[in-house]
Amino acid sequence: MLMDPALVKLALGGLVVLGVIGLFFGIGLAMAANKFAVQINPKVEEVLETLAGAQ
Amino acid sequence: MKNIRPFHVLVGVLLVVVLLLTGCKTRHRFVKKTAFKDTDKIEIVFAGPVDETWAKDVGGYSVYEKPDPDILLKISNVALSPDKTTVTLTFEEPLNRDQPHILTTTEIMSEGKSLGAAVLTVKKLYFGYVLSILIGAMLINNFVFTKYLGLCVFFGTSQKKTTAVGMGVTFTLVIVFACMLSWFLYQYVLKPFNLFFLEIIVFIGLVSLSVQAVDTILRKINPALFKAFGVYLVLVIANCVILAVPLILADNEYNALESFMLALGAGLGFLIALFLMSCVREKLELANVPPTFKGMPIAFVVAGLFALAFLGFSGMSIY
Repeated sequence: MLMDPALVKLALGGLVVLGVIGLFFGIGLAMAANKFAVQINPKVEEVLETLAGAQ
Repeated sequence: MKNIRPFHVLVGVLLVVVLLLTGCKTRHRFVKKTAFKDTDKIEIVFAGPVDETWAKDVGGYSVYEKPDPDILLKISNVALSPDKTTVTLTFEEPLNRDQPHILTTTEIMSEGKSLGAAVLTVKKLYFGYVLSILIGAMLINNFVFTKYLGLCVFFGTSQKKTTAVGMGVTFTLVIVFACMLSWFLYQYVLKPFNLFFLEIIVFIGLVSLSVQAVDTILRKINPALFKAFGVYLVLVIANCVILAVPLILADNEYNALESFMLALGAGLGFLIALFLMSCVREKLELANVPPTFKGMPIAFVVAGLFALAFLGFSGMSIY
């Protein structure tokens, strides 16, 4: 069964627009994460691991 | 903060100005001012004198409330001031000042010449209108106590005053950011492409995006504040007020300033609700509560009482 071409067009347009928005903001977030990266000392994690950690 | 140049600031300011201007209504060039007067009058001030025969004709004007274009309001009398620049329309029934009114005239005649027909908008003082949105969202239609939204976070973080205030401030920050983003996307992307059915999914995405962005940026820029916000920042996603506000402002076609005020009002209203609730719950810790009501049940009772108290604000209007 064929669907109404106008609806197919709307759905495809929606997919494209949503994809572009997602890609745009995804890249934006990735760049922000890169720019505002915080160095976390890996030793902190290691020390916490080796401690008993009951409290 | 060092690499923000004046050029960037200028571009930002220009962008905001353009956005604000697109939200403004155009009006006829010969009309200086339109305003409500008393309870049943509308005043139109023209830039120059108009012809008496045209101005005094009741059939020359038609007025309706913006949401109901098919209900024309009946005009009982038209008065022209002695200097012929001010026309006062008197209506048979009192006007509802909360709604903007649309006034259309036939061709305006001034000194024998026609200046074209005019479609005018009559509304309350704009600043007052914007303020009433803010106060309305904050107290009169408080999202927690009158719409019962965001209750899980409300009960979860209102045990102590410090956590309550922390959550409220974080929430206000994020909701303003998320709402401005979603307003922009709704007006300039979803509306032109006719994708109204996608608004919920887009708004959900934007909320998580803004939470993630605030999280990333705050971690670097202000670690002390980030530590203070701690777990609440992630909890904001679980709050449904933050999804309700973009949907409301999409429904009402608010412009940028009105959206900002609604978001700010919702955030501050949530902060007020959390603060009031935490004050009571701190005192409840010391009270002699029957064992069956200890903890959550008594909190629900208190929330119900607060909701009753906030009901007292209902129906109030400012300006």
